[in-house]
Amino acid sequence: MIRFDRVTKRYPGGHEALKEVSLEIAAGEMVFLTGHSGAGKSTLLKLIAAIERPTSGSVLVNQQNVGRMRRAAVPYLRRNIGLIFQDHKLLFDRNVMQNVLLPLQIAGFSRHDAAARARAALDKVGLLDREKTNPIALSGGEQQRVCIARAVVSRPALLLADEPTGNLDSEYASDIMIMFQAFNQAGTTVVISTHDHAAVLSGNCRIIRLDHGSIQS
Amino acid sequence: MMTWLMHHRRAILTTLAQMALSPVASLFTLFAIGVALSLPAGMYVLLDNATQIAGTLPAQNEMTVFMRDDASPDDVTKLKQQIKAMPDLADSRFVPRQTALQQLSAQMGMSELAAELPKNPLPDAWIVTPAATDANTVARLIKQLEQLPAVALVQADHKWAQRLDALLALGRELINILAIILGIALIAITGNTIRLQIITRHAEIEVSRLIGATDRFIRRPFLYFGAIQGLVGGAIAWGIVTLGIVLLSPQIDTLNKLYATQIQLHALGLTDSLILFAFASLLGWLGAYISVGRTLSRIENTH
Repeated sequence: MIRFDRVTKRYPGGHEALKEVSLEIAAGEMVFLTGHSGAGKSTLLKLIAAIERPTSGSVLVNQQNVGRMRRAAVPYLRRNIGLIFQDHKLLFDRNVMQNVLLPLQIAGFSRHDAAARARAALDKVGLLDREKTNPIALSGGEQQRVCIARAVVSRPALLLADEPTGNLDSEYASDIMIMFQAFNQAGTTVVISTHDHAAVLSGNCRIIRLDHGSIQS
Repeated sequence: MMTWLMHHRRAILTTLAQMALSPVASLFTLFAIGVALSLPAGMYVLLDNATQIAGTLPAQNEMTVFMRDDASPDDVTKLKQQIKAMPDLADSRFVPRQTALQQLSAQMGMSELAAELPKNPLPDAWIVTPAATDANTVARLIKQLEQLPAVALVQADHKWAQRLDALLALGRELINILAIILGIALIAITGNTIRLQIITRHAEIEVSRLIGATDRFIRRPFLYFGAIQGLVGGAIAWGIVTLGIVLLSPQIDTLNKLYATQIQLHALGLTDSLILFAFASLLGWLGAYISVGRTLSRIENTH
């Protein structure tokens, strides 16, 4: 599903976030990206979602070269990727429900279908009773769950989570990791970056360790 | 198709919600646009009224040939033949003195005056139209007509009619210039409000981009905002002009009574109103389009 071929990303100013990284992630896999902060985890995820473009090398997602993708095609790529951010990026000018509805409105779902799907997504993260609340009134863990509901509401084939548990207590964090595992078991490919080794699920998940922009094996 | 309709519906609702969110600021902007548009619209209405009043006046290249007061019906017949024989005249029409008096009393509302006159003071007259309108021909014709027997006076209305026409044309040109300047002002006002809107909705735009919104989706509410703002501004301008006419009407009525005239001011007609609304929306949309393009690309480059 995802294939990096000797990808280098150099930011303006000369900092090299990724150096000749090659990797492959199959559909249906659940992968942890670990490494110290600044190791290039965020950059790797951003390259998959075409938020950043590689300086050299190629990034393929579903056989599409997203590094060379036309600007106009990028939105359609992103509709098939659920993005989860450490800072949640929720909108505080609307309630939880409206935040979760946003991807569906963008994709052009009818109001009826959209409402049903959004409720289902909120139910999955256990926040159905908070749909009318403004996200600013929620705890950090709850905000992260709203962010997850928004990411999965359009049932993407791929979930990318950048430090999803970075600001959370270990108890909340493990709840969220279990949630990701459930999505993975339903067939979604999941890539999670974390600097917290304790958060990595025990089990047979693959771990990709980044160090100063290179993969450690 | 459904999706498309839904997107547009949503964009309009978002726009109205945004306006309602800061009602005072929205009202100020709308009034600024309304006042800016009311100037050319108001001037246009005034000029339109003036043109209509001028339209009741004689056509510009006609000349009036007044006969001597003592001219006999024989003289009239003779003069008719002589006028017919002149090659430079395109048309001629006889106005007997009785008809002239009737027209005058009807036109100017001077029936009382006409009734009190012991004797019709108006002479028989001919209204002739020269074949050519250039000053030389007209001058030569006047000379020729004046030399005919039984002719007292030849009056060429064309001079002041031309002057009036030139004045109206000047007025029209002024309105055009004013409309262009204030149209640019409207674009600028809209552009600025849209820029502020985009800055306040920066987070929403960023998130929308990350979850797959196309540029069009992001742009659409702002374009609607510009167009709706322009449209409402146009409606306010229409209101200002109509109110102005309503306020002026009593004064015109007083003048009508004093001068015994029948002048009536009319407001913007249906077509003109629709044109005003269409232009206002179009300019608002244009201002938004320019501003959205510039501001969005700047936001993108900074983040």
